[in-house]
Amino acid sequence: MSSDSGRSLPNSPTSEGFTSREEDWTQLRTLLLAPEQTQLDELRERLDHRMVHSQEVSQVLPEAIAIRGVGDQQLSNALTPYVENGFIAAVRKSPRAIVDAIAPIMGPAIRQAIARALQSMTQSLNRSLDESLSIRGLRWRLEAWRTGRPFAEVVLVHTLRYRVEQVFLIHRETGLLLHHVATDAAVVQDQHVISGMLTAIQDYVRDSFGASPDQTLDQVEVGEWTVWIEQGSQAYLACVIRGTPPASLREDVHDALAHIHALHANALADFAGDATPFKATQPYLESCLLAHYERPPKQGALKGWILIGLIVLGVVWWGWMAYQAQSRWSHLLDRLREEPGIVITQARSMWGDYHIEGLRDPLAKAPTALVIEAGLNPATVKMEWAPFYALDAPLVLARAQSILRPPESVQFHIEGGILVATGSASPDWAREAKRLAVLVPGISQYRDDGLVTASISALLDRINRTVIHFPSGSSTVEPSERVALDTVAAILRELDQLVSQSSQRVHLEVLGWTDATGPPARNLQLSQERAEAVVAVLREKRLDKAATVVLGSVRPLDQGGSNQESANQRVATLRATLTAQGQDSQTADP
Amino acid sequence: MIQKKICMLGGFAVGKTSLVRRFVSNVFSDQYQTTIGVTVEKKCVTVASQEIMMVLWDLYGEDEFQHVRDLYLRGSSGYIVVMDGTRKDTLQTALALQQTAANTVGPVPFVSIINKADMRSEWEIDEHVIEQLRDRSWTVLFGSAKLGQGVDELFLNLATQMVQRPPLSNTHP
Ligand SMILES: Nc1nc2c(ncn2[C@@H]2O[C@H](COP(=O)(O)OP(=O)(O)OP(=O)(O)O)[C@@H](O)[C@H]2O)c(=O)[nH]1
Ligand SMILES: [Mg+2]
Repeated sequence: MSSDSGRSLPNSPTSEGFTSREEDWTQLRTLLLAPEQTQLDELRERLDHRMVHSQEVSQVLPEAIAIRGVGDQQLSNALTPYVENGFIAAVRKSPRAIVDAIAPIMGPAIRQAIARALQSMTQSLNRSLDESLSIRGLRWRLEAWRTGRPFAEVVLVHTLRYRVEQVFLIHRETGLLLHHVATDAAVVQDQHVISGMLTAIQDYVRDSFGASPDQTLDQVEVGEWTVWIEQGSQAYLACVIRGTPPASLREDVHDALAHIHALHANALADFAGDATPFKATQPYLESCLLAHYERPPKQGALKGWILIGLIVLGVVWWGWMAYQAQSRWSHLLDRLREEPGIVITQARSMWGDYHIEGLRDPLAKAPTALVIEAGLNPATVKMEWAPFYALDAPLVLARAQSILRPPESVQFHIEGGILVATGSASPDWAREAKRLAVLVPGISQYRDDGLVTASISALLDRINRTVIHFPSGSSTVEPSERVALDTVAAILRELDQLVSQSSQRVHLEVLGWTDATGPPARNLQLSQERAEAVVAVLREKRLDKAATVVLGSVRPLDQGGSNQESANQRVATLRATLTAQGQDSQTADP
Repeated sequence: MIQKKICMLGGFAVGKTSLVRRFVSNVFSDQYQTTIGVTVEKKCVTVASQEIMMVLWDLYGEDEFQHVRDLYLRGSSGYIVVMDGTRKDTLQTALALQQTAANTVGPVPFVSIINKADMRSEWEIDEHVIEQLRDRSWTVLFGSAKLGQGVDELFLNLATQMVQRPPLSNTHP
């Protein structure tokens, strides 16, 4: 406005009537106010042209900021929002410049993240090897074997929380594949067709449900896989994930896509089917190939080891028991084979049950006793024995004993199939034995030359006919007389045997005698002494137990006669009789 | 190698799927299984010493209940309009679909084919009508997915047109 009025001054005098008066006024005003007018113009100039003003301010601005900044925080507080807004505006306007600037910082960070992901994968692979030794590992091996899947895959399915297996960078408008990365383990079908289908599916869903363009399909689930779709303005990322990914993964994917958009804005806008420029997106796509594996609980492993330990112990114990049972069993068989009268024809053991078949002489040792002796439970050992006659000497002997039933005074022994009987026995028994002996299995001949046979009365008679002679006036049994007493002793023993069956006892009286010479008192005493001497000799032969010996003393035989006769009277005689048992005590005392 | 999105357009049961399967896998089936939504197939060809990966979007056929939405056409570098020689009405559908495609993706190359040439005696579409199409500067081919006649020619014709056209023409608003 002001400049208009200024410019109108030279134009004004051209037309209207009162021009001259106006001119005068102007001249007067100029004359009067010229210095003030100049000053006024100068001031106006200053106000209108800030540049002049700014120039002056610029001279003091840095100092001013420095001084204020030292004083308090107000300046930075005031500036912060503007700086922030300015930065956001700058990023919006040219993201590329910003990304270029920070790429050197981001690059190493991303590489580090990938390295870490790889590291965790190797660790988990190592662990899968460890797993193969644990109980869980065995279970998985079983599962792998059952389902026909590789073991590594079974381990993966069980320990994997999630793993991004493939990442597709897809041009949004055409559905064409810009770039694709996959883990080594992933099964990659035709990625171009997949990227087309993924796009078509989204279109289809949007078409079918009448969704608006900003409503997008974010997730598709196919079996054990989840496909995450992260939308961008020009391209979208599709991540094929096995397992259950955490929500935080979305941010990683989102960041990767944002970087790609920033870096390849032009290539995306100009895309006409040539995907070559997008090879450069490889690191960003790879940064999305994340995985997380579950760590097995430590305690579980310990439990597994304890279980394995118990199993091993059990196996060892079982093995030891089996070994012991086996050695007991073979020991039993050895013992049975050694045993006379036992022949094993068949023996087998099965899961702690034993079975023996064979031949056994009825007189042989009871096999059950041997089973117990060997330390096996008789209930577990089944035995079937067929009876037979064994020819082992002890058994033949036992058989002869049981069939012939010899009295105690008879001894048997075997000499190469010949049964030899010694001792003494009644003629009746001896005759019976001779008849039966050869019928005893295992005995071919019978010999009883050494067997003395006599009847009781004959034996008593032999005793009673015995006379022991003494020298004159002596009561000592001469050695020559002892032979006779030996015979008496033997006969007594025999008798004792013979009568043992009946309830009778042999009663023996010893009578001492003297001749008529000498005083009668002395003779009585001598006769007594002679009887006692004989008893003493018999006692030496331990007949006190075999027979009852009664000491008898008598008066000298009241007979006159020759010397010969008197010699005959210096004797002791014996009188053996049979008495019913129980009368000994009465007769013992004269 | 450049990739190109190509759409198969046409009425229902005209033989879009059959043509694609004949071209991609060289198989044909008499059984009719209608396409629901879209099936994507792919085949690489070389024309004028340029390798092209043709990503074929086999769309569902248009009928009175289902109109093909422009949604699926976006980003196509070319399209194929299929008609069934034995059904005259498929011509009208083809015309309408071509209009939709032109509106959506702009002046990109396209080829049309009248399929089922093996049943020529039963054709309802006559030479006169075909001339009219050619007057509209349509490329009209004949073929039979059943016999495999004219199938490779169909796709190669389109591929050649796409290569010859300067790439800038593909970028459209
Ligand atoms: N005789 C003959 N039959 C054909 C030919 N091509 C396709 N057909 C038959 O036509 C029927 C439809 O074929 P499709 O290829 O499924 O048709 P489409 O266009 O994909 O059908 P929609 O997906 O439902 O739109 C099938 O029974 C095919 O066998 C051909 O060249 N000759
Ligand atoms: Mg079909």
